[in-house]
Parts: sequence; structure tokens; C-alpha cells
Amino acid sequence: MDQQNVEKINSILDAELEIREKIKEQVTEFDKKTRTLTGILNRIHSTRSEQMPALLESARPVLESCRETTAALADIIPADQFWKWKEMWQNSLRNAVFAALLVEYLHSGGLLTLPAVAETLGIKSEWQGRLALPAEDYLHGVISVVNELSRLAVNAVTLGDFEQPIKISLFVKDLFAGFSMLNLKNDTLRRRYDSLKYDIKKIEEVVYDVSLRKLAPSSKEPEKKDSE
Amino acid sequence: MTSTRVLDSRDSVLPVFEQFREELDDHNDRRERLIKSSRDVTNLSKKVIFLLHRIVTDDAAESDDNIGRHAAARAKGKFREIQSLFAGMRPELTGERFSRYQRNVSPGLQEYIEALSFAHYLEHKSLISYDQVQQSLCDDEGNAYFPLTLEDYLLGLSDLTGELMRFAIASISRRGGRQKASDVCSFVRNCKADFERLTPHFRELRKKQHVTAQSLEKIEDAAYAVAVRTSEYDLPPEMLDDLVAQTVSHATDHSSFGDEPRRKRARDADIDDDFN
Repeated sequence: MDQQNVEKINSILDAELEIREKIKEQVTEFDKKTRTLTGILNRIHSTRSEQMPALLESARPVLESCRETTAALADIIPADQFWKWKEMWQNSLRNAVFAALLVEYLHSGGLLTLPAVAETLGIKSEWQGRLALPAEDYLHGVISVVNELSRLAVNAVTLGDFEQPIKISLFVKDLFAGFSMLNLKNDTLRRRYDSLKYDIKKIEEVVYDVSLRKLAPSSKEPEKKDSE
Repeated sequence: MTSTRVLDSRDSVLPVFEQFREELDDHNDRRERLIKSSRDVTNLSKKVIFLLHRIVTDDAAESDDNIGRHAAARAKGKFREIQSLFAGMRPELTGERFSRYQRNVSPGLQEYIEALSFAHYLEHKSLISYDQVQQSLCDDEGNAYFPLTLEDYLLGLSDLTGELMRFAIASISRRGGRQKASDVCSFVRNCKADFERLTPHFRELRKKQHVTAQSLEKIEDAAYAVAVRTSEYDLPPEMLDDLVAQTVSHATDHSSFGDEPRRKRARDADIDDDFN
């Protein structure tokens, strides 16, 4: 190789190494935050519904602090190179999406949309090409929520909340109907989608147990209708 | 339209997933198209490589320099054909799309760089530079169809050593072939040293370095065989040429094209997995 070519290669290499190092730094920060979030959200399984709002409030500031990280990342990534680097932070991002979705579900019982998640994490649309929230990562977050809710259905009953499993069941079925519409390739998203049916089965079993013993309010309603 | 922040019914969830479906389908279709184009590039590039091998081994009557120039000139048209395929991919690779689909285009691009660098070596006896490869991927105004990544450049070049090994072994039995083989030998040795320094940064390159080492060893063994036989005779080079032609013709039967190293790209394997 002639000198000029070697220099060219080295300059490209150095620039990329610098970007990589900077991203790594931010991903470490990002991971710290998402781990804190996971830690807080782990407590939903042992928190009674009265205390739930307070628990969610404690998660919010951490969730919002992710905005600093996304802003720092967007600063580092050169224009149009988003996909080149995204694998470095994609796991952290999916965890953050999961946290945002779970907090919203426990708060309002609904699904936070992709743009709303992006907004929660401070991802701005003008960063397109540098940092964005792709559908794939959002959907991974949604599946993680379903995984988590199948556990919550069980633990809510243990804590005496018989209504939650039924709400979860309806919510998860809606999401499953949504996922069924997608033409998924043979990738991790597809595999995780395939595993959703086990979560649904688990939730259904809880709903069945609760209904059978006439513990849940909604399972009492049809009975009333029958007697009318 | 999507001003609602929270979806709380199936009727609101389904349209959103319909959008996702469109988005994912669009992505997958584009990816498939690019993989197909990349396969076409691979095919054409392989043909160019075979063409170059044929020219340099068949036209041995010509003088050394001429063969190289002649071969490169005949490959020009083929290269233009491949370059027009790249031009066709351009609209699919604008802006951030390139960084998304780069790995789907890589296999073909690397094969092309292998062919291009082989032609370049035959013509100039030197390694094609990063800038020269990028220039070959530009339109008439000099605008790049897409940016060349360092990885594709280096991995393409790394395959060149295998072609040069075949070239050296095939020509060693011909007139002036020993000199050619010895040139190739030192060239490949330099390539290997150049790449070695860069292996920490590219995982794939590390694997290919192993193949390069094997190729180099084959050339060295062939050169050794020639040197040993030369020492036994005190003859002028021209007469040795005759002698060597007889000796090595046996060796090339089972050492050059026969046990070609496995060069299936790991990337190709990845893509195959995705299809399953």
C-alpha cells in the first residue's frame, strides 16, 4: 500500500474509533439508567394498586433523564449513519421503551404510541438519520411489556387484586391482534412474537382461575345479567 | 393523525399496527431487492475474474506488460456493466438507507472489489487505493453512488490474494513465469503485512488473513520447488524455462485449482440463515 492510501485508511479508522468510544460512554450511562428503571419496575409485582401511582412517580424522573443520553448520542452520530451504529445502543433503547410503555400501561391502561415513546425519551424527529426510534425496537419493547404483564397477572392475584389479570388479558389480546397483522421475517422479533402465545396462555389461566372462583368483578357481572 | 398518545382499544391499536406492517414490508422488500442486485454483482464479478485468469494464461505469447494491459482493457466493458448495477441501486441507498442496507450490498461489492483490484494489479502491478475504488463507484459528475466503507474495501482486497495465488501458480510453468510468481509472492507478502495491522478493527479480516496466509504459503512452496530444481542445473533462464515447464505442469494439476480454499463469506452465510 502506498503512503497516501495508508493515511487515508488511518484517518477513516481513527474517526470511526473516536465515534465508537464516545458512543460506548453514552451507552454505559444509558444502561445505568435502564437498570435503575428495571429495578424500580420490578417492584410492581409486590406493590398494591393503591401504592402503584407513587411507584410510577418514582420511575418518571429516571425515564426523563434518558433524554440527556439520547441528546448526547444524537450529537455524536454523523448525519445518515444512524443504522451503522444503532446496534450499540439498541438493547438499552429497547429497555427504555419497555419502561416507558409499562409505566403508561400501569398508569392509564393503554398503549403508549411510538411517537409518544420517542417524545418521552426525548428523541426528536429532526434527528432523523442520526437517532430515531425504529418500529422494530418499539415492537421489541411492546413484547417485553407482554412478558412482564403475564407475571404481573399472577402476582396481582397474590396481592388480592383480581381485576388486574382481566385488564391485562384484554390489553394483551389487543396487542396480539396487532402483532398478527405483521409479516414478520425469521428474526428475533418473529421468535419473540411466537413466544407471546405462552404469555397469553398463562394470563388466560389466571383469568380462568379468578373467574371460576367468582373473585373478579367482571366475572360477577354476567351472572347478574343471567339472573335478571 | 397520530396525535393520540395512548391507545386504549383494539380499534385504535389495529390501524397503528397496519402502519407498522407497511413499514416493515417496505423495509423487507427493499432489502430483498438489494440482496438480489448484490447477487447479480457477485455473479458478474466472478465472471470477470475468470475472464482475467483466462486472458493472462492463454495469451502467454505476448510480453508481460502487454498481457496485463490487454486483460484490463478487455475487462473494462464488464466492469462498466457491474457499475451500472451499482448505479441502479443508488435510489435505494440514499441518505440514511445506505447505513441500513450496507451489509446486504456488501457480498457483491466485495466480490467486485476483488475483481477490480485483480485487474488493477495485472495492469499496474500495484494495490488499488481506497480512493480509486470509490472513484469507480461514481457517476460521470463524480458523485458517489454510495460511500465505500473501509470494511468492504479491505475485505475485497483480502480476497485478491487468493486470485493472485492462482495466477502465480498457473503462470509459474510459463516463460517468465518464475519472475511473475516471485513478484506476486512479495506483493502478497506485503498485502498480508498491511492487513495484519488492521485486523484488530475488523473481525472478518482476521478470518480472511488466515486464507491469505495459506495462499502465500502455496506460492512460496511453488517458488521453493522451482529454486531447488534451478540449483541443480547450471543453465541459462531460457533453457530452465523449458525444464520448469515440464516439471511444474504436474504440480499445477493438483495444487492450483484443485484444492481451492473455502472462501464462502460468513456474511453470505448470515443472509442464508435469514432466508430459512
